[in-house]
Amino acid sequence: MTQPLGHFTFDGQQVPLRPGQSLAAALTEAGLRQFRATAKGAARGMFCGMGVCQDCLVTVDGVPNRRACMTAATAGQEVQTQVPFPDLGSASVPQASAPARVIAPDVLIVGGGAGGLSAAIAAREAGASVIILDERKVGGGQYFKQSAVGAPLDAQQSDGAGLLARALAAGAELIGEVEIWGAFDGLLFLAEHKGAALIARPKAAIIATGAYERPEIRPGWTLPGVMTTGAAQTLWRSYRTLPGRRVAIVGSGPLNLQVGRELAQGGAEVVLIAERGPAPWLRPLASAALAFADPGLVLTGLRTLADLRKRGVPIRHGTRLERIDAAEQGLRVTVEGAGGKTAVTADAVLMNAGFDPQNEILRLLGARSTYDRAFGHLRVTRDETCATSVPRLYAVGDCAGLGGAPAAMAEGRIAGRAAAAALGFGDGYDLFADHRRLARYRRFQKHLWALHDVAPRLPDVPDDTLICRCEEIDAGQIRQGLAETPGHAGTLKRATRVGMGRCQGRYCGPVAARLVAAATGAAMDERSYFAPRVPIKPVAISAILAAEEALNDAR
Amino acid sequence: MRADVLVIGAGITGMMAALHLADAGAEVRLVDAGENAGTWANAGSLHVQMQSRFMRLYPDQVPAVEASLPLYKAAAEEWVRLDALYGPFELVRKGGLMLAEGADQLRFLEGKARREAAQGLSVEILDRAALDRFAPWLGPQIVGAELCRDEGKLNPLIANARLMAELARRGVQIMRDRVVRLEHRGDGVMATGRNAAYRADQVIVASAWGAGEVVQDLGVAIPTKAEPLHMNITEAAAVSIGHLIQHAERSITLKQLGQGQIVIGGGWPARDRGRDMPPEVLAASLLGNVALAARLVPQIGGLRVIRTWAGMNTTADGASTIGRLPEASRVVMALPGDAGYTLGPLVARLAAGVALGTVPDGEVAGFAPARFAA
Ligand SMILES: Cc1cc2nc3c(=O)[nH]c(=O)nc-3n(C[C@H](O)[C@H](O)[C@H](O)COP(=O)(O)OP(=O)(O)OC[C@H]3O[C@@H](n4cnc5c(N)ncnc54)[C@H](O)[C@@H]3O)c2cc1C
Ligand SMILES: Cc1cc2nc3c(=O)[nH]c(=O)nc-3n(C[C@H](O)[C@H](O)[C@H](O)COP(=O)(O)OP(=O)(O)OC[C@H]3O[C@@H](n4cnc5c(N)ncnc54)[C@H](O)[C@@H]3O)c2cc1C
Ligand code: FES
Repeated sequence: MTQPLGHFTFDGQQVPLRPGQSLAAALTEAGLRQFRATAKGAARGMFCGMGVCQDCLVTVDGVPNRRACMTAATAGQEVQTQVPFPDLGSASVPQASAPARVIAPDVLIVGGGAGGLSAAIAAREAGASVIILDERKVGGGQYFKQSAVGAPLDAQQSDGAGLLARALAAGAELIGEVEIWGAFDGLLFLAEHKGAALIARPKAAIIATGAYERPEIRPGWTLPGVMTTGAAQTLWRSYRTLPGRRVAIVGSGPLNLQVGRELAQGGAEVVLIAERGPAPWLRPLASAALAFADPGLVLTGLRTLADLRKRGVPIRHGTRLERIDAAEQGLRVTVEGAGGKTAVTADAVLMNAGFDPQNEILRLLGARSTYDRAFGHLRVTRDETCATSVPRLYAVGDCAGLGGAPAAMAEGRIAGRAAAAALGFGDGYDLFADHRRLARYRRFQKHLWALHDVAPRLPDVPDDTLICRCEEIDAGQIRQGLAETPGHAGTLKRATRVGMGRCQGRYCGPVAARLVAAATGAAMDERSYFAPRVPIKPVAISAILAAEEALNDAR
Repeated sequence: MRADVLVIGAGITGMMAALHLADAGAEVRLVDAGENAGTWANAGSLHVQMQSRFMRLYPDQVPAVEASLPLYKAAAEEWVRLDALYGPFELVRKGGLMLAEGADQLRFLEGKARREAAQGLSVEILDRAALDRFAPWLGPQIVGAELCRDEGKLNPLIANARLMAELARRGVQIMRDRVVRLEHRGDGVMATGRNAAYRADQVIVASAWGAGEVVQDLGVAIPTKAEPLHMNITEAAAVSIGHLIQHAERSITLKQLGQGQIVIGGGWPARDRGRDMPPEVLAASLLGNVALAARLVPQIGGLRVIRTWAGMNTTADGASTIGRLPEASRVVMALPGDAGYTLGPLVARLAAGVALGTVPDGEVAGFAPARFAA
């Protein structure tokens, strides 16, 4: 692990940083959790840790609204708490900076995780030219999350490093820190790359953007110090930063257990893991089905549980989050289980209650999908080569519907070969082994999640609990809006502003869709959600200027 | 069930017509197809001065717009009244600035301002020094502007929601249906929808781009056309832009909402995807529209665009269409024309008055649908 090397300032206070750390990691390590103030005066901090929630905004060297979780800390930076209404006049006006870069690979891969890297290797080995774009500085994605500050932590990270190395050795180019914000008909992608514009016109595209986490929407879920389990995992695995000394984990699913173990190994005191699902020994049949589907993967899970027990981490099954309150000594977490309510105090509260696919690019381009009731999210319609309903557009991994890293890799290999073959590279055959593996992984996922409790639910929260983090719209306002104008999620949005903020409804959107469906009795489908629109992530006007100039020059 | 008046279209025009009719004690029904209302996509600019974009695109329609200028001024005042009655809608009326980037453009604005002043508008040409006193944030290339004090802006989401609630309070329901045919009979009108048939003594047609089709069998050919348009919005900043910003030659409107976001539009095209889908945002429009805005007001360059959307505007011949059909006198047209959100409430009040007999036909003769007699 690297040692502190220099400082930046946060509202004038000196904060040490280690090379490679994100601003969010360095601030967290210094015990600073409040990054911005909202329009209503509430404090917010890092929540998703992966560039989705837009709650970690800070002003960096005079430029407002930078995401602390996606911005590297460098010595000498002047960082300030983000005010809700930055002064237009005070910000230095960024010019259309460096000239735009225009790329036109045979196969463009969006997302350099398990799925994207596997697709890149397959397409490249078939002879197609391949460029991978990823939002993060370092590839690897969520499962293979790479360390930004030192040597690999464990086998999972070394495997990821190996996959990355293979993709690069095969001749694929990986461009990091690229934020794709627009996708248009005919496969035109517009992105921002370190303040400059990047324009991609590939012959075929494989989308591998993964998933983001579904939170527990309960009173107190927006308090600084409350974050997704994956955010804490990134702090630890990528930056060797603990989210706090005492950690409580709530929600449901295998990630909570895994991260609990990693943090405990890293020195955190895990004061509680509350799992909504019943204990596996209460559901022997489901557990047996899982073991049957993939004994190897089950063994890993058992080892995690045993290790947590050995370390004395309390795991409560059948227990759900009631509320989180700011207390003098940290955050007071109240959970409720069969034995009634209990409360613990922690510095950081981690939550994960399942996943939602990052399918914005696919939906924007018009790829069809259907609603998966078991997982409570859309599944992109694909043929056996992972081709979507849109010509030359493929989808692999969790962005097409949750499937896990091994499935993402198998899908990547299949789609990579198929996309290359469709362009005349290689023959695309010999998919049999991957298809067989894929079927097994999918069976495993089904049984795995049956042991947990991630069925999306309607929020049974008090009226004053926020549903929309960005626009600060609470359950009461949404209930009132529903009573007046049920119609569609879009109608509810216009009536209440739910989903109109920076994160574009990533967290409140699925909730709004389900509430409207419940109120109108309509079945959930791909049209139930907010309409997909560019930009899929907020984009700097300076980057738009640069893209406009580049496209004009090209004309 | 038979109504006194059936209103077709529940955008701003249909909603306000129904509100006036209900307040006058009439039995009103509203029927709306629920497809692509401009009212739910529009930007809430209160336009009064002639829009240069329009003058350039449709030069043949300029005389009609010029004759309507007093109507626009009255329409902005109608909104001020509604804001007091049912608001607040974040309505601000500081005026609109049409920017000039060179001497030629400033001369064009001077000529335009003279024509508008003759129609009773409160306009003034400002040089750069005058602009700097309240709009120092304009780009250095701006040499002057026309200020039209009658213009303003409001938050259409708030206004629409409040007006919907007013309708609900009066017990006016909106039926979801698409009217495919209107039959004029001696004793009333029969409207055939896809789901049901509706009978009424009179009908007000406020269905914008869908109006020409609805009345095509009734002796008029009204060339209403759907025009898909594009909008952008940024994250919030401290409010410092009070005016509605436009350009003497290029398509742009820019303003800041009460909550600090900057709304950028001005008629850049989107792609029509049919009646049951909102239009699609085009890359060229997004880039061109936002880049132009950033050149005119460079300070917004530090903000991020968080959303774009597209909706259906309606064009016909540039002027409003208000009044009874010459061959079907129980059918009253209520089509606002260009800048239809600005004009909607006033056009609705006039059309409702015609139906109720409180506005003499002569008062709206200048906008009569007779000009489209087939
Ligand atoms: C926070 C989090 C933590 C997880 N941790 C684990 C774990 O520890 N163990 C486990 O078994 N599973 C974990 N999962 C599940 C895991 O996502 C998948 O099983 C696996 O990583 C899926 O691979 P993928 O290739 O589909 O997506 P990912 O591995 O998530 O890769 C997607 C990549 O796309 C990039 N990307 C996304 N959107 C854009 C865009 N617009 N522009 C450019 N790049 C973009 C991302 O930066 C990322 O690198 C986690 C999921 C999440 C969300
Ligand atoms: C992106 C955009 C920005 C705009 N910005 C501004 C602005 O800033 N200022 C301004 O003044 N104007 C603006 N406009 C124009 C303005 O929105 C419209 O002119 C105005 O809303 C028209 O209102 P309306 O009630 O007449 O019609 P609409 O709001 O278009 O409503 C017509 C309704 O009739 C329904 N309908 C159609 N056919 C039928 C049928 N056969 N049966 C039943 N129902 C039917 C439709 O479904 C629709 O709901 C903008 C327009 C767009 C698209
Ligand atoms: S924590 Fe940075 S965007 Fe969510």
